[in-house]
Amino acid sequence: MAAQALSGRAAIVHDLALEGYGFGGDHPFNPLRVRLTLELCEALGLLEDFPFVSPEPATDEELRTVHSLTYVRMVQKAGRNAAALSDLLQYGIGTSDNPVFPDMHEACARVVGGVLGACRLVTRGEMEHAMCISGGLHHALRSAASGFCVYNDAGVAIARLKEEYPGIRIAYVDTDAHHGDGVQWMFYSDPDVLTVSMHESGRYLFPGTGGVEERGRNDGLGYSVNVPLEPFTDDGSWISCFEAVVPEVLRAFDPDLILSQNGCDGHVLDPLTHLSATIRFYEHVPNRMHDLAHELCGGRWVATGGGGYDIWRVVPRAWAALWAAVSHQELPEKIPEDWLSKWGARSPVKLPATVRDDPEGYPQGPRATTIADRNERTVEELLGRVLPGTG
Amino acid sequence: MLQVKDSMSREIVTLSPDETAATALAVCRERRIRYLPVLKGGRLVGIVSDRDLRSSTPALGDPSRTAALQEVLVQDVMAPEVVTVLSDDPIELAANTMRERRIGCLPVLEGDELVGILTASDVMDALVYLVGAHEPGSRMEIAVPDRPGSLAGAAGVFGMCGINIVSAAMGATREPGEEGAPRERIVVFRVDTIDTTEVVGYLEEAGYSVMWPPRP
Repeated sequence: MAAQALSGRAAIVHDLALEGYGFGGDHPFNPLRVRLTLELCEALGLLEDFPFVSPEPATDEELRTVHSLTYVRMVQKAGRNAAALSDLLQYGIGTSDNPVFPDMHEACARVVGGVLGACRLVTRGEMEHAMCISGGLHHALRSAASGFCVYNDAGVAIARLKEEYPGIRIAYVDTDAHHGDGVQWMFYSDPDVLTVSMHESGRYLFPGTGGVEERGRNDGLGYSVNVPLEPFTDDGSWISCFEAVVPEVLRAFDPDLILSQNGCDGHVLDPLTHLSATIRFYEHVPNRMHDLAHELCGGRWVATGGGGYDIWRVVPRAWAALWAAVSHQELPEKIPEDWLSKWGARSPVKLPATVRDDPEGYPQGPRATTIADRNERTVEELLGRVLPGTG
Repeated sequence: MLQVKDSMSREIVTLSPDETAATALAVCRERRIRYLPVLKGGRLVGIVSDRDLRSSTPALGDPSRTAALQEVLVQDVMAPEVVTVLSDDPIELAANTMRERRIGCLPVLEGDELVGILTASDVMDALVYLVGAHEPGSRMEIAVPDRPGSLAGAAGVFGMCGINIVSAAMGATREPGEEGAPRERIVVFRVDTIDTTEVVGYLEEAGYSVMWPPRP
């Protein structure tokens, strides 16, 4: 890791090469959202005193902590255009979700290296918190690409830290609108890794898993926590479920490090999901993760990105709020003119002028109370059935 | 596929008619099972459930219980007429039998030989696999006109978008949303994609009505 003069207590682990992870064309997973986010952070004055740290790509050996060798080889071949589509499809590659792109192995390994590097910085105590916004590829499975995710950055980082720091306890908290299935399955039997995922119910939405009854297996029973939310859940209900579950299970688990996946595709404007959150939720969650990290594990917290497909109106603001929490800075109110004029010209939709959403623009839906009641019942059903000592 | 033998459990715990209720209940408890086929000379002669055993002996706490458990024999309690299925019967036939006869378990035969046992929860597992709920996917509900080619047409739109169909289930007909329109069937597709926005557009262009997901 090429550590430049590190100052302050928080780091952004990023370099331009990480923006090579994307599927091109009209694909909804567009790395431009990372550029938009970082430039917004800079325009808001949130990057002064916080230098970027360039990560090394993950090695094949590191990837193999959670991925099979045949899968890694297949991704390498795909990126060199040296594999038949029929073979790739067996590994989830070459589909409309996960099309082949040149040098895909290198691009994905860099993202994994970014999150792993961020975790090492924090675990070694060189930084209190770190953010790698390209990370959060939580659907990637042991031997298959899934849902825009080729390699599982959080999975590799957690597995690798467990090797480097025997006995370490890691809490993974995922507030992407989709269930964090890949990470959950990788540590489903492991009582040293707590996975918490809050997401739109899998009754309809991809990947279809993440029900309350998925609680872990064998020694890991109780260490997988799932809060499936009703479609059209709004800020109020989501925040109250978050408050009812996350602090309690994290306290009971007592982690040495918290790794959060901060997908922002639960925003009401997101085209791929049906939740109804606003920036209020995406400001609340990282602020609470920050508090809990200080309360429970000496501040050791690594944040990643994740899903987020309204790349113009939602992602830059949600992730600027994330970085403000990670770097412990006030989140400004107004979007700076220079950012607006630079990107407004390219955006197909009108860009909001404020960082936070105006609540008046997002009135409660007609079924808000019913939805909140159902979510509350889900939480009641869940508590007491997870980690010993909760509920 | 979808035959009884694909879903049944092949590990069968059986009793003989002259064993005691105490033994039978102990087997239920230890193996965590609720139904025990009864065999005599290798032939199926009855079936007994933990509930039958409990209801035909004095309740827990009754001083006569211990003695009764030793006296009551499996043959006194078992149902002698057993509803069975064949291992190559379709699973839906077995499910319908369980539903109509209100029974939770069917011994499975090949000829005269008992080869397995099918419980309600095995049928549930088959349902989960049938609809592809064990692998990642999105669930879509589409209303199609009740006429030849509708399912193929809708499925073709997924093919055109390069989206793999994990499962498709078509339901009974229902009255159309609009008066005068042809009757409809609802098709539930599970598809291997996180992004259904494009295919929803094409389906609607082709005249199918997408009931879920909602338009953003």
